[in-house]
Amino acid sequence: MTGLQDVSHRHEGTAAIAKHPVPKGEPILELRGLQKKYGAVEALKPANITFLSGEIHAIVGENGAGKSTLIKLLTGVIRRTAGEVFWCGDAVQLATPNEAISRGINAVHQEVVLCRHLSVAANMFLGDEINRNGLMRKRAMTDAAQAVLDDLGFNLPAAALLSDLTIGQQQLVATARAAMRGTQFLIFDEPTAYLTRQESAQLFRLIRRLQGEGVTIVYISHRMEEVFELADRVSVLRDGAHIGTRKIAETNDAELISMMINRTIEQIYHKETLPIGATIVETRGLSGPGFSDVSLSVRAGEIVGLYGLIGAGRSEFALGLYGRQPLSAGEVYWQGSKVKIRNERDAMDLGIALAPESRRDQGLCLNLPIGLNINLPVFDRLSRGLTINRAREIENADRQIKDLKIKTPTRRVLASAMSGGNQQKIVIGKWLSHGAKLFIFDEPTVGVDVGTKAEIYRLFARLLEQGAGIILISSYLPEVYELSDRLHVFRQGKLVASHTYRSASHEEVLTQAIGV
Amino acid sequence: MSVETTTETAPVPKKGMNILFGLTLLGLLLFLWLLLGISTTSFWTSNNISNLLRQGAMTAILAVGQTFVIITAGIDLSVGAVVGFSSVTVAWLLQHGVPLWPAMGITLLVGVAIGAFHAFGIVRMGLPAFIITLATLTSLRGIGLLVTNGSTISISDESFTNFSRADFLGIPSLFWMVIVVAIPAYIFLHLSRWGRYLFAVGSNSEAARLSGVNVNRTIYLAYILSSTCAAFVGLLLASRIGIGNATQAEGWELQAIASSVIGGTSLFGAVGSVHGPLLGAFILATINNGANLLNVNAFVQRIITGVLIIVIVYFDQLRRRGSR
Repeated sequence: MTGLQDVSHRHEGTAAIAKHPVPKGEPILELRGLQKKYGAVEALKPANITFLSGEIHAIVGENGAGKSTLIKLLTGVIRRTAGEVFWCGDAVQLATPNEAISRGINAVHQEVVLCRHLSVAANMFLGDEINRNGLMRKRAMTDAAQAVLDDLGFNLPAAALLSDLTIGQQQLVATARAAMRGTQFLIFDEPTAYLTRQESAQLFRLIRRLQGEGVTIVYISHRMEEVFELADRVSVLRDGAHIGTRKIAETNDAELISMMINRTIEQIYHKETLPIGATIVETRGLSGPGFSDVSLSVRAGEIVGLYGLIGAGRSEFALGLYGRQPLSAGEVYWQGSKVKIRNERDAMDLGIALAPESRRDQGLCLNLPIGLNINLPVFDRLSRGLTINRAREIENADRQIKDLKIKTPTRRVLASAMSGGNQQKIVIGKWLSHGAKLFIFDEPTVGVDVGTKAEIYRLFARLLEQGAGIILISSYLPEVYELSDRLHVFRQGKLVASHTYRSASHEEVLTQAIGV
Repeated sequence: MSVETTTETAPVPKKGMNILFGLTLLGLLLFLWLLLGISTTSFWTSNNISNLLRQGAMTAILAVGQTFVIITAGIDLSVGAVVGFSSVTVAWLLQHGVPLWPAMGITLLVGVAIGAFHAFGIVRMGLPAFIITLATLTSLRGIGLLVTNGSTISISDESFTNFSRADFLGIPSLFWMVIVVAIPAYIFLHLSRWGRYLFAVGSNSEAARLSGVNVNRTIYLAYILSSTCAAFVGLLLASRIGIGNATQAEGWELQAIASSVIGGTSLFGAVGSVHGPLLGAFILATINNGANLLNVNAFVQRIITGVLIIVIVYFDQLRRRGSR
């Protein structure tokens, strides 16, 4: 433990705020009626949660349940609308990230927020460099960082550039950085989403060790097995509300899941059995950047689900099929005949539509109006000669806004002003106005509220009735599991298993995706 | 997992916000004219107004071309050099006995080629727009100086040089050229699908690509239009000064960018119009013209121009933030 202490004593000034250390098992952080509203939307309903000193407290909930809002409130990224927070018995504001950090509250985020072009050591000391006479002591920092990393048992070089590490390793660096800074209270936000099993094991060892040193850990995850392996207690959030807190020894999967969902699965995922038609598309041994040897087919009236962890090659396969990425091998058959899809336009002309993974980066022109976004794929059809037919442009945009119930007063509002669910509807609206035989939806319900989710699923049914086929890509197992007529599991760029509707258990599918 | 930080109560853009902004600029321009009319005796003379319109015309055309590029979130630093180079091109062609109309046509085609080269560098070689256009800025000046051996080529064709001095319906022909450029530019940017594509590429080129927009072709289009506008201005300049000289139009690229930005174009892309840069160019021309009439030191003029650019764009920023 020498390494950690050597460096962290420099931070006594900041860490010393917790002057009267809270004895293990006593409340260290108490939330009383903590609430966050965005306009009329309650992202977090008044919550009362107590975190005990030295415990590992898991927080579980579906996407959009309010977990991120809670973390942002605790780390001072956003300010609360109402309620109180008590830290070591004192009421605190937690108004800025600096205040949270100086009190010893830190978070390790799912996406690593470090400087990719700096070394591991420089990142660990960022904002708190070792100086002598105003000059940085690079060697001293590298040595100190290396000592910490070695001590933690991470096999990482402190002098390496952060961008040379895998995302999992970067996560470990972020954790080491937080650990080094005299942290009293450390929040992990789905830390294992991008980690290999080995990296996860290293991280778990670190978490237990920090716990042994008296650090309180909040562990956010939706992987049940991790929660049961690590946590002492678990709190469940659902639709922005705190449903309850249980001791891990006194609960089980089934209880937690029912607390998380509170509705029968059939209520959300109503699946109609439609007659399956002819094959729309078939790939044979398709390979490209990030995926290889993928053979699958989609028939009219069916949803083909692609499940796998992030980076397993599902989105890459979709981009390859859509002509965005060059294919290195394999064939595509469209309605029985062999085709070559060289670019996006080829794919669109065949009748393929893609609602991509990231609305922000791939789906929308955020600082342009909703109407322009909706019409973007069809401007050639809306034009006569040189100019666009204004009346048809307006009519098409307004029709999609009305049909999809996009909550906006006019088509002139910028796409950036819309919530996640409405943004997703704009992306879908683009493709409804264009029309297609095969719809590829990549993570269509990330950051989308439950009501809109149900609307999107109903829309799937409508498309299927009209004779289209759907490829549904999702990291959210219940979604692909309940909606897919056929479910393919991806791992490391390959299609590793295929199931028909509900023919395998959740555990089986998950195991295949992780590759135990 | 991500919680949306935006609310459902989205701000409704006011109707005709752009028109309003255009009117503010027009108001500013008229205010400047009024002010100069009161404080000087020589401003409202037909001679001076003609001069002002001629001065502003060339920057205005450059600014329109530049705006296409800036809307795609790019930049074209070469336009000043292209103006100078085009003046040399047309003068050299005329000197070597090429008839007037083909000489002008070839000069415009050289402009097209320069723009295509810029787009090639950006699309195929992956160079930043700033770099490739900076490189042609210096190279074109060099080529022009080589061709002319560092001197100038005078143009003897009177019908060519008379054009810039001529009037039509009492308005200088150079100003008519602004209208000749602005009307198709307006139709292109605001009424055609290619204009929409420029905005989409500037806002999010990946989203545009996945929506079937040919992003590369759009970029080619923007840079070719900018360079062609610059070559056209080169013809006008050659007509006006009666010579081809590679060192002419020094710093005009900055005038063009400034006019565009004063006219409400965002250097981050996806925001811009045709009428904005036109007004911006004539505001800049008026400031220079007025400073001359008021006998402001030429060095001080430059400072005033700089300060005014900051002030106008800052107010535009405030307006944008306010409307969000």
